[in-house]
Amino acid sequence: MSGRARVRARGIARSPRALESTSVDLCDSNTSSSSGYMGTSRTSQTDKDDTSSGDVGCTFMGRDGTIRRHFMDLGVCTRENLAHVRDCKTGSSGIPVKLVTNLFNLDLPQNWQLYQYRVTYNPDLESRRLRIALLYSHSELFNKAKVFDGAILFLSQKLEEKVTELSGETQRGEKVKITITLTRELPSSSPVCIQVFNIIFKKILKKLSMYQIGRNYYNPSAPVEILQHKLSLWPGFAISVSQFESRLLLSADVCYKVLRNETVLELMTGLYHRTGMSSFTQACEKELLGLIVLTRYNNKTYRIDDIDWSVRPTHTFQKRDGTEITYVDYYKQQYDITLSDLKQPVLVSLLKSKRNDNTETRIAHLIPELCFLTGLTSQAVSDFHMMKALAEVTRLSPLSRQQRLARLADDIQRNKNARFELETWGLHLGCQTSLTGRVLPLEKLLMQDQVCQPESAADWSKDMRTCKILNAPSLNKWLLIYSNRAENVTESFLSCLRRVGSPMGFNVDYPKIIKVQETAAAFLRAIQEHVDPDVQLVMCILSSNQKSYYDSIKKYLSSDCPVPSQCVLTRTLNKHGMMMSIATKIAMQVTCKLGGELWAVEIPLKSLMVVGIDVCKDTLNKRMAVVGFVASINPGITRWYSRCILQRTTDVADCLKVFMIGALNKWYKYNHGLPARIIVYRDGVGDGQLKTLVEFEVPQLLSSVAESSSDTSSKLSVIVVRKKCMPRFFTEVNHTLQNPPLGTVVDSEATRPDWYDFYLISQVAHRGTVNPTYYNVIYDDNGLKPDHMQRLTFKLCHLYYNWPGLISIPAPCQYAHKLTFLVAQSIHKEPSLELANSLFYL
Amino acid sequence: MDENNIQCESAVDGSFKDVTNTVIKFKPPLYRQRYQFIKDLVIQHEPKKVADLGCGDASLLWMLKFHKCIELLVGVDINEDNLQRKKYKLSPLIGDYLKPREKTLTVTLYHGSAVERDSRLLGFDLIACIELIEHLDSEDLAKFPKVVFGFLSPAMIVISTPNSEFNPLFPAATLRDSDHKFEWNRMQFQTCQVSQVGKYGKDVWAPATFSMKAFRVLVYTTTYPSLQQNKYRQYAVVNEVISQVYDMRRDLLESLKLQDDRDLADLPEDTGTSEPPFQCYHPVLTQLNANMEKTPKPFCVGNVFYVPLERLFSLPKVKHLCIDIEMLKTLIADAVMLNSDGSAVMVDIHDEDNDD
Repeated sequence: MSGRARVRARGIARSPRALESTSVDLCDSNTSSSSGYMGTSRTSQTDKDDTSSGDVGCTFMGRDGTIRRHFMDLGVCTRENLAHVRDCKTGSSGIPVKLVTNLFNLDLPQNWQLYQYRVTYNPDLESRRLRIALLYSHSELFNKAKVFDGAILFLSQKLEEKVTELSGETQRGEKVKITITLTRELPSSSPVCIQVFNIIFKKILKKLSMYQIGRNYYNPSAPVEILQHKLSLWPGFAISVSQFESRLLLSADVCYKVLRNETVLELMTGLYHRTGMSSFTQACEKELLGLIVLTRYNNKTYRIDDIDWSVRPTHTFQKRDGTEITYVDYYKQQYDITLSDLKQPVLVSLLKSKRNDNTETRIAHLIPELCFLTGLTSQAVSDFHMMKALAEVTRLSPLSRQQRLARLADDIQRNKNARFELETWGLHLGCQTSLTGRVLPLEKLLMQDQVCQPESAADWSKDMRTCKILNAPSLNKWLLIYSNRAENVTESFLSCLRRVGSPMGFNVDYPKIIKVQETAAAFLRAIQEHVDPDVQLVMCILSSNQKSYYDSIKKYLSSDCPVPSQCVLTRTLNKHGMMMSIATKIAMQVTCKLGGELWAVEIPLKSLMVVGIDVCKDTLNKRMAVVGFVASINPGITRWYSRCILQRTTDVADCLKVFMIGALNKWYKYNHGLPARIIVYRDGVGDGQLKTLVEFEVPQLLSSVAESSSDTSSKLSVIVVRKKCMPRFFTEVNHTLQNPPLGTVVDSEATRPDWYDFYLISQVAHRGTVNPTYYNVIYDDNGLKPDHMQRLTFKLCHLYYNWPGLISIPAPCQYAHKLTFLVAQSIHKEPSLELANSLFYL
Repeated sequence: MDENNIQCESAVDGSFKDVTNTVIKFKPPLYRQRYQFIKDLVIQHEPKKVADLGCGDASLLWMLKFHKCIELLVGVDINEDNLQRKKYKLSPLIGDYLKPREKTLTVTLYHGSAVERDSRLLGFDLIACIELIEHLDSEDLAKFPKVVFGFLSPAMIVISTPNSEFNPLFPAATLRDSDHKFEWNRMQFQTCQVSQVGKYGKDVWAPATFSMKAFRVLVYTTTYPSLQQNKYRQYAVVNEVISQVYDMRRDLLESLKLQDDRDLADLPEDTGTSEPPFQCYHPVLTQLNANMEKTPKPFCVGNVFYVPLERLFSLPKVKHLCIDIEMLKTLIADAVMLNSDGSAVMVDIHDEDNDD
């Protein structure tokens, strides 16, 4: 509830998307760390003994099966199948705008090649370290720019012979013959080459004394401390080299690593004070299990799988050599660390075995005092003050972001070692790329009996005051439940709601009012008692921001007894002088929940269904994925059909067929025919999932479309929507840098040659740098011109009814996101089908 | 010194296992035993400046960097490539930044010969030359004692070399490593020049007569954050003060709220009777309270919560970091709000209101 209530509370000042864009900004810096998904455990890579080769090992295919997910996506060439954009994927409408990017040119001499060698040892050596040490000790290779992972060697200069034989000797005196055989000559655009470039740049950042955590590099000597929240933010850079539309570019972005200056023991102490003795163990387990911790002494990260309360630091364990030692003595001897609390329990972490054949799981015991917390807990993320403090540091204006980038480029040029590394490879870091984007015309809003050109596309709430909304069912029979603590605001809110309703064209009758005790159970009991099939809406005025209230109400009313519901916090209503605007927002929200329509934009395509799909993880059971599907069911794109499912596999949505057929049936019912065109926007796609999408999701959609009709089936397009992407764009205005105007499209230079893709800026960032949204059309039967595809996408960003303004992604995606969020956070099961025709989750 | 050498030898000799078939394996491996020997010395004597001549892959340095007593750790090796590749394992870890050491540690790696008269290595407390001398050619070997004992003259030195008496037990080669120039038996070792330490009394060598040219090239140097550095001391103090102030505030608010709740509704008392498995905080807490009781209590005026510096200064962690209250005041002045006479930290009793 908290997030929701806050969005509402803050919505007055700021758009929800703008808000979310800041959290996306943060994610940049902490997915790799922690709070998010898979990134966490990567920290352990940083301390590998053989760092240079360690990088290589996980980059090149084969060795341990991990390929950078991002590179996997780049291998999926979807554009070649799309005949209408094979030659040209750029649009032409709109006003050209000059943009500066965060992409740096990377120049190579003409005909530059990378030489790939296979290195074999006779007799064969098991240890990669030994292989590397032996090869590196040879003077032939000493001064050459090289990257070697133990088996594959890359050189920028060709060796004299195709096959070079060297001999070496191990410390034991064994003679080893090393054979270096040229296997490939690679042009600079080849994927392998790009991986090598990435390794080179990692080396360079290391030479600038930056510290690798996850994929990014951070500067530990200039941290920003947020002391009140025990956070330490390390500024750093996310960089990657890759082949963009016409050339090789280095993209660089400023990011922050959030580190927590708090050990698990400190957290436990805090919990102990807060919860008291009786529920202490449960509280610890609830808070700690699943968290990733960083050990102080060896920089490794572990997941806490259990807490063993029976083991104390004074107990013994068996070392690898079989001797028994107490934890206290071990840490004293090994790391000269004296444990201060000898009664703390130990944390248990299941270790993943690196070798697949070894099925025996090993466990590690960790001492809470020596484990730092990493990333942000969900509790921390919902801590508004903390997030505000974080945002203040991490939100950089376009100008200061640009200054940091310029300094990085400068540092690379000035540092002797870094420059030397570049030069030996023949690379030259050039200037920042600038390009020309286009600003699309802003849309007019179609209201019930007038057309409105909003003054600002970012927020048209003012413009709407005088307009009637498109269609509002009247609210005749409804319940208003409030707790005894909320008595005084309830009455004034109700009259306000009725007053703002009429100019909008929304008739609100007097509800049945129920007063209950301030407990979750009391609310639920009142609902169960008074809801009957005729009730259109249940409104609850909650005086406490406890998630359990909200969750239990939503859970009951979304699936057990499907009735649209609206929760309002008394704190929101108590805001001085805000009652009218709050009531207006709630009136609009309620209208949508009843199946009403607020506004529309002009859609030139007459029979078009747009679909939004989002996937996220359930918060209770991380193995379950929540798939949300929202499809428009009228040509005006104002009414929606929303479905949601929980499924076990997390990567692919495998229920799309059911959803799609359901949506087509609905469309058929209301429009007496099938839509001529269907455009699907797919959000929630992680790195490396593109191939699965193309191979599994697109066919599901295609076959359901084909099955629904006997003769001509609807034409389908599938577009992957990504809120996070490397490029940033700035415009120069009056000698300073600003975010580009709303509606800016970029479809050249920063795009990829193998994809039909474009960037669109459809949201405002009042503070900080705007994150462009990245669209990749992976399937397209419709054959719309790129111009039309871009403009249609922009139009759809106007249609999110929970915010009177533009948002960063097309409305169906945002609806799907909202739906999955509600299910994943609060109700944890499928909402009833009866609610599918309304935006009950807003 | 001499005694140490012999100790070392015997430590190694004592623990090799029975001969099994052809290949001998030591457990723990020999190099570990030798490193452990150095580690034990460090624990025992707490040297401040330690150097490892012929540091190889920096494993010994890595083991030693955890020791709180060490302030300068230097590695020298002839193989630059090796140093270049291994240097980062000596860099500070994230944890070193989050919980800085008490004393600053500087780790430095030089590329160069072990037998150079390098004034940067003067005045060390311990110099280790583990399995080094057998790699020296006769010329260097001749220089070695002069340089190490005569010039560098550390307080302690440990030299080890393989014992050739065991060579018959190893397969194949006459020497254990192709780079070994010789391998000695115990007798040879004890009679060799190296162990004739007495020869080089300080009076024999006058360091001033040497030209102080340094041929060693700096490969890597890093300084660990520590509480000796003002920046980190300040972080640590402010961190502790802020978290304590907020804890005190939370305790106060909770006690108020509890009272409030009891007034409003007669809540049943918490009936959790299960035995707590985790009781460690009791002793710590009572001890804390006893020290703090004597100091002025935090108090509230209007909506502002005050914590007297005197009370904060009674916290053991704060006391450890600050010499006196004045120092505490200067360290936290920029980060927190103090009342007008600078005797207490002020915070709002409630977080600034939630409207934004």
